[in-house]
Amino acid sequence: MTAFRISQRGWIVVAALAALVALPGYAPQYLVHVANFILIYTLPVIGLGFLTGFTGRVSLAQGALFGVGAYTTALLTTKLGWAPLATLVPSVLMTVVLAVALGGAAVRLAGLYFVMATIGIQQIVWLVLMNWIELTNGPQGVRSIPAIGLGGYELETPQRFFFLALAAAGISYFLAKRVIGSRLGLYLRALSDDQLAASSVAVEVGRAKVTALALSAAWAGAGGFLYAHYVRYIHPDMFGLEASVLYLVMSMFGGYRSIAGMIVATAILESATEYLRPFGEFRMIAYGMILLLGMMYFPKGILTLVRRRASAPATEKS
Amino acid sequence: MFDQLFIGGLATGCIYAVVGLGFTLVYRTLRMVNFAQGHVFMAGAFLGLVIAERVRLPALPLLLVVGAVAFALGMVLERLVFRRLYHNHEVFIVGSIGLGIVLMNGVRVFFPEPVPFPKVFGSTVVQIGTARFQEAYLWVVVSTLVLVVLLHAMFTYTRTGRALRAVAADAEIAGTVGVNVNRAIAFTFGLSFAVAAIAGVLIGPLYFVSFDMGDMVGLKAFSAAVFGGINSIPGTILGGLVIGVLENFAGGYISSAYKDLVAFVILLVMLIWRPTGLLGRETPVKV
Repeated sequence: MTAFRISQRGWIVVAALAALVALPGYAPQYLVHVANFILIYTLPVIGLGFLTGFTGRVSLAQGALFGVGAYTTALLTTKLGWAPLATLVPSVLMTVVLAVALGGAAVRLAGLYFVMATIGIQQIVWLVLMNWIELTNGPQGVRSIPAIGLGGYELETPQRFFFLALAAAGISYFLAKRVIGSRLGLYLRALSDDQLAASSVAVEVGRAKVTALALSAAWAGAGGFLYAHYVRYIHPDMFGLEASVLYLVMSMFGGYRSIAGMIVATAILESATEYLRPFGEFRMIAYGMILLLGMMYFPKGILTLVRRRASAPATEKS
Repeated sequence: MFDQLFIGGLATGCIYAVVGLGFTLVYRTLRMVNFAQGHVFMAGAFLGLVIAERVRLPALPLLLVVGAVAFALGMVLERLVFRRLYHNHEVFIVGSIGLGIVLMNGVRVFFPEPVPFPKVFGSTVVQIGTARFQEAYLWVVVSTLVLVVLLHAMFTYTRTGRALRAVAADAEIAGTVGVNVNRAIAFTFGLSFAVAAIAGVLIGPLYFVSFDMGDMVGLKAFSAAVFGGINSIPGTILGGLVIGVLENFAGGYISSAYKDLVAFVILLVMLIWRPTGLLGRETPVKV
């Protein structure tokens, strides 16, 4: 019985993956375009998951860190002429270094005080991107960022980029799973459950928290790297507080600890900005309402609805 | 130059202080941060604009009317919206940001472009020392002073004020000694909306009003509140004034590009150095 159920679930996963891989084959270009954004955004959202789900800290600076990754690769490729792929490691490193430099001392703050500090970080990074004109072009943004080339094959169209985005999202998903399953993941989970208990069994609380921050920044930086080479024009406003709120909401609607839930929530919210288009100028009002009503009626994530229904029969049996 | 920058900064600082008071009032009572606060400030400015364009009210009644409407709106929104967001601080933050987006884009539908505000506070130029400035600056400073004195008197001498302080100190115990906790919380939101809306009307004549003016002011007022101590009313006022003056000096003497940075650098440094702020007393959870 159990074996049958697992295999049935396995089939659904295989079918869904097959449908996903074949997406550029049958879906209109526009849909592929949206799918690419969803896949890119899963990276910063998974990154937030490290921080929020495993240390109980909520960050509103993920949009800025995503921007640091995007700007690093954009400036290295356009101003210094680096090959796009060569900038992946510098982008990730730059994001991690900056996150630890600005936030390293703040991670020991708990709860609301940490959120306040991340708002400061978010605004500082955004203001520097906006005003350090000699480096970042300021409000002009960075234009004509090259597309990623794989052995002479330029990933210019959404269809071509799709496979890279899918691979990146997949790799970051499995890497995140590995991290969570590792000793470090164990520390982080212990930390989120009970900090005092964790420290009493020799978990180095301070270092584990900074590591969680660094991991979350690394994922954001990698996401920013992909984003810059996909949209190929970046502007500081893409990495403002609104973006940070969006990533936070994606991870909250997903219900923090479940990576799969975050990905579903990311898909729903990212496509929301697309299917709200018919509302025209009322689009942003509708978006604000989604955030507000979502928090009012589903404070623990949308997936709790599904899970509650799914787990109900199981609890009856036991 | 110095006098000019100082007085300009003082006026902006008063606005940060008054808007920041809204953050402080709600935080003291609920340990939550209402990020719709800046947009309430913006909505207050537009409410004042709409009223002033239709009825030729003198300045003081205009401030009172806007304050009263905002107070009622705050009470209603607490009942309908905020009450459902008390689960934890993330839910409250995101919910209130959502509300702010609704407010901002709601106003945007009617006023997509920045509009000039009628000169309700007169346009005489006053000279103090070497500084020359519009009469409206004086209004900002004096109104802030009056508002603070009134708030202080209310919290110290009235029954309602004592009830609010009791709820802020310990809602459960306040409830057992007969304070209507729900009403006190609704009243707190009413007050925080009223002060923000009044600040909006005060700043209106000095600049153009636009739908996105609440974004930056809200976040800076928040920084001011944290800097001075987010659970302390005198702290928030001090924080607002200091940030207003400092950023004006930074803009005047160093570079106007990084003027906006001052508030957030102060926010971050203060949180790391002393999370309770200059005058705050509560021991934060810091492990």
